[in-house]
Amino acid sequence: MVASLEIGRVFWLAPAPEQRQERPVKAKLSAVTELSELIERCKTGDGIAFREVFRNHRSDVARLVQRMSGRPSDLEDLVQEVFLQVYRSIKDFRGQSRFSTWLYRVTVNVVLMQRRAAKSRPVLHEAPDDAFGADLHELPDDQVARARRVAAFYRLLDRLSDKKRAVFILHELEGMSPSEIAKIVSAPVLTVRTRLFYARRELLALLREEPALEVVAHELRAEVEAEAPLGEREST
Amino acid sequence: MSGELSPEEQALDCIVAELRAQPAPELDWDRIEARLMNQPHPVARETARGFFTRLAVPAVALLAVAAGVFLFLPRHVATPRVAPKSMAKVVAGPLNGDALALGTHVSSADQSVVVEHAGRARWTLEPHASAAVADAGEFLTVRLESGAISARVTPNPKPETFAVEVGGTRVAVHGTAFRVERVDDRVLVEVTEGVVAVEPTSTHSDPSFLLRRGSRGNFGLDGRTGSVEGNASVVVRDSGRKSRREIARTARPSAAKPETAMPAPSASASPEPAAAPVEAAPLQQEPSISDIESGVSSAVDLMNQCFQEKTQSSSTVSVSTGMTLSIAGDGSVQSVTFEPPLAPAVEDCGVAGLRNLTFARSVEGATFTRVLELKH
Repeated sequence: MVASLEIGRVFWLAPAPEQRQERPVKAKLSAVTELSELIERCKTGDGIAFREVFRNHRSDVARLVQRMSGRPSDLEDLVQEVFLQVYRSIKDFRGQSRFSTWLYRVTVNVVLMQRRAAKSRPVLHEAPDDAFGADLHELPDDQVARARRVAAFYRLLDRLSDKKRAVFILHELEGMSPSEIAKIVSAPVLTVRTRLFYARRELLALLREEPALEVVAHELRAEVEAEAPLGEREST
Repeated sequence: MSGELSPEEQALDCIVAELRAQPAPELDWDRIEARLMNQPHPVARETARGFFTRLAVPAVALLAVAAGVFLFLPRHVATPRVAPKSMAKVVAGPLNGDALALGTHVSSADQSVVVEHAGRARWTLEPHASAAVADAGEFLTVRLESGAISARVTPNPKPETFAVEVGGTRVAVHGTAFRVERVDDRVLVEVTEGVVAVEPTSTHSDPSFLLRRGSRGNFGLDGRTGSVEGNASVVVRDSGRKSRREIARTARPSAAKPETAMPAPSASASPEPAAAPVEAAPLQQEPSISDIESGVSSAVDLMNQCFQEKTQSSSTVSVSTGMTLSIAGDGSVQSVTFEPPLAPAVEDCGVAGLRNLTFARSVEGATFTRVLELKH
């Protein structure tokens, strides 16, 4: 089911589950061979090969770091830290899973470590209420609204436990299957599914506490009521 | 219970879709690259060169000794690592599964091929079959392309440490021994010991079917539809650690099911599903994902309430149990399983409430498991 919703000036297209973006299949044989060679060269300390790996995967890593950390200020440092970890530990990559899975595992671990460290540090200032550094004064209204919604949603994600947050982001935002996530977070598939279930449930409950998000649900509710036949509305 | 999403769920999906559509952040890549290249590499290279220079002569000597030892050792001692994407063919004896790299294809001709992962699992590729290693890590996964696989898995406290994927269907071990065969677009599963879960490889909210010892299943390649033969109870057989409650309902005469229909677990006494297709009716093959989720949500709330009411303790008590619900085609809850079991009073309370829970009607019904985390 594809739902096209008009709320104010914002048009949203909510894709049906079967139309969700799948991560592109990159594992063509030639690409795999090429990547394997690059990795083998990285293990010998080949800087050119490492640079290639960095350039090929930096966008994926940055996107995941952004979603996992939710803090624009640390983004660049975290991406750098991920690739430093990759360089240090690539010799431990034995090819038992896809390289992208291993890379995501490293990325998730780096972000979680940073989050744990941040919790033990004193908070000097609150993060600005924007979506990743965007200057809200220079944006059209609909983009401002969207930026606020995104920021509000990251605040909600921040209230989930690290484990639930990680699997929710990997599944819902990165489009990974539970079995792939299980390899990244080193947990059984059943556990991943359970965490996904509870993460979604908690987010639905928290949604009501965020005015920027509750208004979306409110408008959707009003739209549903408006579309309902008169008799039904009266009976409710 | 409607199959439509609630406004809150729609709002969540909309916001998730917005976030998903956001492009990757653009950073100062040149600066990051410069910092990365300046940091580790000169050190690493210098270290590597210095190390090599200092140890060049001993290393050559060691290599010579190793070569000599290799030449004089019996051949079976050295287990060559099979290169990715190569075709592994076995002459005799089991193949060392731990030496098979990700993506390795294994094929059998007239004889079976046995693959052994020491201390973890042993799988047999039956004659004229082919498979590929889809995961060689902690959770072994074999993708069956044609033919049949029999597997015997060493019991492990972690569930699903071994799985066979066929198309979009995933057959994951919870017990010890099972067989999976691909026949055209069908997946035949036979469980000889323990339990296996059959489920789609993709989404998290689809129901998974638990097949117990002695059960046989015939599933589609999507992992969602299928039929069960013999003892069709796809929930629980007798086990000391498990507790199964039948929801007392009169068995309803089920409509003729299509060949792919999975009978509802407790109503699955009919050994063979009828071959005639269902008359065109506005029924879904199975309850929708949102219906299952909202129903499960109600069941979880109910169990939490029962646990609160029936647990008499002044201190904090928390338990974790797996709740398996079997939903019949008419949407009623046919059976519930708690593994490990809960206190009888809590179970009685839960069973009484679940009796009134109704899912959307569907042709097949469904069976699925959720882990409950109850706290008092």
